[in-house]
Amino acid sequence: MRIRTTEYFIREVFFSLKRNNWMSVASIGTVAVSLFVLGMFLILVLNFNKMAETLESQVQINVYLQDDLKKEDIKSIEEQIKDMQGIETAKYIDKDEALKRFKERLGDQKFLLDALGETNPLPNAYEITVTQPELVKTAAGSLEKIKGVESVKFGQDVVKHLFDITRLIRIFGLALMVLLAGATLFIISNTIRLTVFARRKEIAIMKYVGATDWFIRWPFLLEGVALGFFGGIIAAVALRSTYAAVTAKVYSTLAFFPLIPEYPFLNYISLAILFSGMLIGSVGSTISLKRFLKV
Amino acid sequence: MIHMKNVSKIYENGALALDHVNIDIEKGEFVFIVGASGAGKSTFIKMLFREVLPSEGTLTVNGRNVIHMIHKDVPYLRRGLGVIFQDYRLLPDKTVYENVAFAMQVIEASRRTMQRSVNSVLDVVGLREKYKCFPSQLSGGEQQRVAIARAIVNDPAIVIADEPTGNLDPDTSWDIMDIFKRINTSGTTIVMATHDKMIVDAMQKRVVAIEDGRIVRDEAQGVYGYED
Repeated sequence: MRIRTTEYFIREVFFSLKRNNWMSVASIGTVAVSLFVLGMFLILVLNFNKMAETLESQVQINVYLQDDLKKEDIKSIEEQIKDMQGIETAKYIDKDEALKRFKERLGDQKFLLDALGETNPLPNAYEITVTQPELVKTAAGSLEKIKGVESVKFGQDVVKHLFDITRLIRIFGLALMVLLAGATLFIISNTIRLTVFARRKEIAIMKYVGATDWFIRWPFLLEGVALGFFGGIIAAVALRSTYAAVTAKVYSTLAFFPLIPEYPFLNYISLAILFSGMLIGSVGSTISLKRFLKV
Repeated sequence: MIHMKNVSKIYENGALALDHVNIDIEKGEFVFIVGASGAGKSTFIKMLFREVLPSEGTLTVNGRNVIHMIHKDVPYLRRGLGVIFQDYRLLPDKTVYENVAFAMQVIEASRRTMQRSVNSVLDVVGLREKYKCFPSQLSGGEQQRVAIARAIVNDPAIVIADEPTGNLDPDTSWDIMDIFKRINTSGTTIVMATHDKMIVDAMQKRVVAIEDGRIVRDEAQGVYGYED
């Protein structure tokens, strides 16, 4: 395509955006809202995934011992644990230590434990970490079989919950996206239809003087892409500032919370949003051209 | 240039617009197509630039087979033709210069060729001075001259005009015909559908009369032959 022609197309697009000003604003607005919601869900899902992964890789296995074991029994259990493959560390936490930690964790509310009086319901335990996260499940299974072990706990429930939540968000987000995409396509194709209508004389003349189909179509297609692009920019800017604000807030209160760092994550999200906007725009105008521009 | 063999056109509503028409128009000819309204003139004209497709027969225009032509080639057929209408069909938001240049822009001519060609055709139609005017600032005759300039700016082999003087007064019509004569002298074939008895009679060119979709008369130096 010649530079002059490209120049001409771009001028036509801006001219047309201006001519349909209210429709253009409405289109760009819907694209922006839709893409913002899409981006939000994308960010949520990715963060939940990351959280689940982090938890999975950090899981520690807690082995709770039966209450009436003798010192030798405990010693033997420790030896068996250390003999197992893939075990990195095994730290013994006796019940007094466990109670002390529990009190610390309760903080201001440790008075609740006063009700226990002198009794300590917590078991003796081993805190075990494994060399690779994939070993957690098998290790937990083997540990459970050791004589004198009451129960074995690891983060399986938390991880499972996180995955469940992620799936829900994904399904809900997808459904909402389909709806919003439909609305966006509708409004974009309507805008393009107005443009086609406003320029029908010009289109007829273009045909008489021998313009090719694509020469006639390009400005309309590009107008759709431009609507998507501008909507995408607004959505991307909004997403960036929202995410930046949320991470700042989260980090100031929960420093260890495993959010995905802003950079380069937000750049990828912005690119994805811009690209989706342009895609929706081109699909929207294609629908309109198919129906209203008989070349 | 134009060869029609047994060409008929039946529209979807069953109307027979052309009925086994045979005609050959050679390079450099000036041909008037005359006939009453609804006789089939418009269908004849529209077939030449493939706005309407024949229902049967064969048609070649400027060496191209119009009937067995893939859709993609239609623009290239039209680039070899200049089409002019009764209602001028100018773009109201573009200047005289831009309206003419538009025809070159869509075939992606370079800026230099465009400037040269547009200025030279504006000279031909005598509107060089008014290149900055918008159509609304021009008289009907001037607007038609812009349309002619647009039709010839890509140097077509054939100029097809559908009632080009239909909206103009006699004096202005003569100005337009002068331009057509000059274009024709330079070797361009001209096919013009018209109702204008005075012009046809005075020009002494080939006249093809169509009645009820058939060619009823084809004379080398004919007259209009109808009473208005």
